[in-house]
Amino acid sequence: MNIVAEQPWLWAGLLAYLVATLVAMWGLSPRLAGSESVQSRRHERVVLGAIALGVLLLTIAIAVRWVRIGHGPWLNLFELLMSQLWSLGLIYALLYWRLPGLRPSAAIVMLVMWILGSWVLLLEPADSHFPATYYNFWKWFHVGLGKIFLALMLAGVGLGGVMILRRTERGRQWFRAMPTDAAIDKLAWRLMMLALVFDSLMLITGAVWAQDAWGRYWAWDALETSAFFTWLLLAVGLHVRLSFKVPPWLSGVIIISIFALAFVTYFGTPYISPSAHKGMV
Amino acid sequence: MVQILQALASLKLTLLGMVLLGIGAALSYGNPEHVSVWVLVAPLALLAINLAAAIITNPRINRQPGLLVFHVGLLGMVLLAGIGRLTHLDAHLEIAQGQAFSPELLMDVREGPWHAGALDKVAFTQGRFTVDYAPELRRGLTHSQVFMPQPDGSVLEVDVGDDRPLVLERYRFYTTHNKGFAPVLTWIPADGEAVSGRVHMPSYPLFEYKQDNHWTPPGTEEDIKFWLQLDTGMTLEDSWVLDGRNSRGVLVVTSGDQRVELKPGEETRLPHGRLRFDYLTTWMGYRVFYDPTIQWLFFVSVAGVFGLGQFFWKKLSLTAWTDDDSETANKRGSV
Repeated sequence: MNIVAEQPWLWAGLLAYLVATLVAMWGLSPRLAGSESVQSRRHERVVLGAIALGVLLLTIAIAVRWVRIGHGPWLNLFELLMSQLWSLGLIYALLYWRLPGLRPSAAIVMLVMWILGSWVLLLEPADSHFPATYYNFWKWFHVGLGKIFLALMLAGVGLGGVMILRRTERGRQWFRAMPTDAAIDKLAWRLMMLALVFDSLMLITGAVWAQDAWGRYWAWDALETSAFFTWLLLAVGLHVRLSFKVPPWLSGVIIISIFALAFVTYFGTPYISPSAHKGMV
Repeated sequence: MVQILQALASLKLTLLGMVLLGIGAALSYGNPEHVSVWVLVAPLALLAINLAAAIITNPRINRQPGLLVFHVGLLGMVLLAGIGRLTHLDAHLEIAQGQAFSPELLMDVREGPWHAGALDKVAFTQGRFTVDYAPELRRGLTHSQVFMPQPDGSVLEVDVGDDRPLVLERYRFYTTHNKGFAPVLTWIPADGEAVSGRVHMPSYPLFEYKQDNHWTPPGTEEDIKFWLQLDTGMTLEDSWVLDGRNSRGVLVVTSGDQRVELKPGEETRLPHGRLRFDYLTTWMGYRVFYDPTIQWLFFVSVAGVFGLGQFFWKKLSLTAWTDDDSETANKRGSV
């Protein structure tokens, strides 16, 4: 197996995320509820520091690869996963810092991040070809807005997971330091509202890019259809909440379902269909 | 009347419309020809009626400027997308180097019933083009030279390609992967006027292995087969530039039992006349797109999302993000 220049930085970044995951999980343990470290929330600083360190190391990994192959992480699955690990970590770290109420849910969020983390470890860091259609500057807005959307969804998944797990005694013990389910639910849906704004902007900028690059703004290809479903399900979720009294656990299920669809859109659809994003014809 | 409007503005109707739109979107995946456009139009019409009623009757929408802008924006997008479909034109075009554009050159034309663009005012002449290829024939940048006559009589040269379309009279011409070579031939019949024309060979390098075509001279039943043997410098191992100026071709002409190889400038005698291979040129395939609503769609959608952003910003900045207001937090419609 050949080790390319960015891999050691990637592994170091993932190691930092592993530390953040373990410390976040450690902080949930009921046995440590009385410990000074957990009571003073010092462990939360360690979690934040480890995520920030991971982001820094992944920044270096991306930069090294960028210099090595001559373009950013836009194309193959290895690049997309590495890039998402970076942006999800960065945006989640900001949310973790600014919204103390969601911090215990980091244990769930970081575990979800590990789906990407373990996936990227299984992939060859193959070089990718930069297609002509990717020179378009709208790509930057489309990708950037999409990253914010997915990170907000991920933070919502953490809160949704808490609301579901709290239906069990063990879950209530783990997330004892968090606000009431009602408050978590409210926070989660606020994140969903923001996610809808960024998802909408991502679709608009993507349509402008598609118009420039492929001569049509919308063509119901696999990626566009899947992205539209994600947007629609998010809108349905918000309207369901407006129309009915939704119990917190069901809120959690709805949020996780939307995230699952977004996840498939990001990491599945572009690789099972020859849709426009491949752009290599 | 108010009761009818309130019933039409129901959020449950919104949810039904969204579910139907989801089904319509699933059926529209891949734009299958057998699926009617009504699978999208019907739920969009239902949602538009529902939304219009909600805008009129629901104070939660019409008294909140941001939310109002967002919902009016959604309505505007549906309307504009509909107008766009009625007035659009989608087509393909193959145009050879030195050839002037003419609407008759369009192929696979699909247009809305209200399409009324000034296609006859579109004027340009195709120049040469180059396409960069990375190793393993991975396509890079396309540079297609186009000449446009100007009102003062001069000619403007423009470089188009990939995400830089040629835009004339709101028609957008996008280069495609479809491009290739075309031998320019002169047919001199046994009795009659000589005629010249081009035979477009299949897309290159996609169909590098089958550069063939055939032609029947007017007034005859003779089927003349052409096979173009190309030397373009194409290589799988290294980077390479497809450029008509660096390409040479030998045209193999077959008619009945007769087979002859022609280089540019050579001619051969066939049963019904003489055929001359004048020179080798190139053709570029464009995708042609016309939709007068796209700029408006962009502005309306962005305005709508900023309206939504303004509404959320106002709403979210009023209370602490992680307040523990259990009394109101889980009430219907509270976020």
